[in-house]
Amino acid sequence: MTSVASRDWQQILARRSFLEGDALERASALLDPDGVAVLCGPFDRIESPWLEPQGIVPQADDGVVIARGTLDGRPAVVASIEQGFQGGGTGEVSGAKISQALRLAAESSRAGTPTAAVLLFETGGVRLQEANLGLNAVAEICSAVLDLRPLAPVIGLVAGEVGSFGGMSIAAGLCTRLIITPQGRIGLNGPAVIEQEAGIDEFDAADRALIWGIDGGVQRAAIGLADKLVDDDRDLIRAAIIEAVAGGVPPAGTHRSERVDVLGSRLASIDPRNAPAPQDLRQLWGPAFEPVNGAEPATAATSSATASRGRLWLTALAGVEPVAVIPSVLRADTTDATYLAVVPDPDNPFHRARNGEVGLTESWALAAAIDDVIASNTNRAIVAVVDLPSQAYGRIEEMAGLHQAIATAVDAYHRARNGGHPTVAIVVGHALSGGFLAHGLQAQQILAVDDPGVEIHAMHKAAAARITLRTVDELDELAKTVVPLSYNVRDWAQLGLCDGLLKVSDAEHPTAEDIDSVRSAVDVAIAAARSGPRDLSNRLDSPGALANRRASRAVRDVMSAQWHSTERP
Amino acid sequence: MQTLTYQFPASRTTRRRTHIGVVASGDLEVLLEEASDADIAEVRVRTSVDGFDTVWHATLERFFTHTPLAGRWELNDFGATPAVVTLRLRQAAEAAQ
Repeated sequence: MTSVASRDWQQILARRSFLEGDALERASALLDPDGVAVLCGPFDRIESPWLEPQGIVPQADDGVVIARGTLDGRPAVVASIEQGFQGGGTGEVSGAKISQALRLAAESSRAGTPTAAVLLFETGGVRLQEANLGLNAVAEICSAVLDLRPLAPVIGLVAGEVGSFGGMSIAAGLCTRLIITPQGRIGLNGPAVIEQEAGIDEFDAADRALIWGIDGGVQRAAIGLADKLVDDDRDLIRAAIIEAVAGGVPPAGTHRSERVDVLGSRLASIDPRNAPAPQDLRQLWGPAFEPVNGAEPATAATSSATASRGRLWLTALAGVEPVAVIPSVLRADTTDATYLAVVPDPDNPFHRARNGEVGLTESWALAAAIDDVIASNTNRAIVAVVDLPSQAYGRIEEMAGLHQAIATAVDAYHRARNGGHPTVAIVVGHALSGGFLAHGLQAQQILAVDDPGVEIHAMHKAAAARITLRTVDELDELAKTVVPLSYNVRDWAQLGLCDGLLKVSDAEHPTAEDIDSVRSAVDVAIAAARSGPRDLSNRLDSPGALANRRASRAVRDVMSAQWHSTERP
Repeated sequence: MQTLTYQFPASRTTRRRTHIGVVASGDLEVLLEEASDADIAEVRVRTSVDGFDTVWHATLERFFTHTPLAGRWELNDFGATPAVVTLRLRQAAEAAQ
């Protein structure tokens, strides 16, 4: 890379900044100047239906610009997030715009016109004002990236200002290539959120050197979590994107998020009780994304005996005693299905993942177990039993790249689903945030137990209230009318994402009848997944979606019509 | 959040629909489209800051006196100052004529 320091002052003065532009300027700076078409633009007026009822001024294009054109002559679509609007947060509409653009690029690619996608990640994550629909939108984007990736390159760019945080960083971790600037940052949990959740000892969000040392572009490129470091310069960034697109589609199995082996080896090479400094990690891991010499994940494990809903239901549904992939990830096999759950492990060496959170090793263990099922050459179903408080909020997690670890789990679920393994999730407890993105939201069918202890959301209530500058009471009041904000599983079930809300007499201590009825619902879901679509398109055609995802459906229909009317010869 | 609507007499026509700005802190977006009535600028303001009706009226009146551009104006505001509002309106008018 040519650093700013090594260029002479005339070059520096002539440089045109990329990251100072708004979303449309940034998209336009990348594409060839002729024939750029903006899809679902401001005059289509598909704005978020959820903001105005909360007293928040919407933006006419919901803060995402979809621009279709060519990149050095190659067909491409750019999704550019406007970081100024609601911090680039992913809402129902902005998220649907990205996933539909990816879907249409895949459709054109299948029809003989390989169409690359470029995603400009400038986002703080899920827009908490649209909580559950934003979270689902991220899951659909992840799935759409993975559907397009074998057909045409999907290039991610993290330029700066806001950086890439939250669930969208998982999507960044799935990209064919990821380009970053020295100003750019990428991580799963932002510094302020970690400080809020875990205290200032865990992460001092005012320490900018620490933040860039962990999340910054230079560091991410130095440990192989980004492929190329480029200065903030329109010409250099455009050239890097063109080069990445020209690189085409790498062979299956070589994408960063497919390298379960590298993740396992890298994690085995660090001792979380005596974690290396970010600088040391550069020496240990290096920029090439390859296994660390001599570091192998431990295989034999015994699980801790801590009781949890996840363990209880996993054991009950599978009807056999589970085995531990690692102490915090349990697996139970029946003749035709593999059940997986993340459970608490009070002795977890990663201290921020002791309560059943999805952390680094949990993501690896899920991916490894799923790959094991895929390698069995059967059409065995995979059932995610979901009971998790969230992803792990911690400094070591961010340093090692939790977004990339979760991307590995997401990729594995998608790989299994695409390979013909029916995937079903059954939520028996909490299913929050990035944890649910890792373990559950990639399933073709999602079931939930109808119980007050079941909670599905983008963030736990106290934190969501703090971040959106409300009291918990105000949040509860708004949730009565704004369905995706609600913490009640019955409201969540109205969003079109739920394939069955299951009545039980006691979710904590299920009776034999409870277990039988949930097990038969899971069996029905497995059969439905087996015969249904392998992508997540059914979530937009469900009865709930007809009522509560009208805006997503409008995006799908309008963008599809515009895409086909601007079809190139 | 508050929604305000205004009408101002106009004499010039909008030739091109135009979109300027972002609903970002201290900023606003302006959408301007041709309307059927060529003599009126119809303005709808959605603003995140309540209680500035008089300031909005004064700012808009001054602008439309100077630039009587007919059309349907939509302003989505996130706390822009009058100077920023005027700047965005001028940018929109320049691009639309």
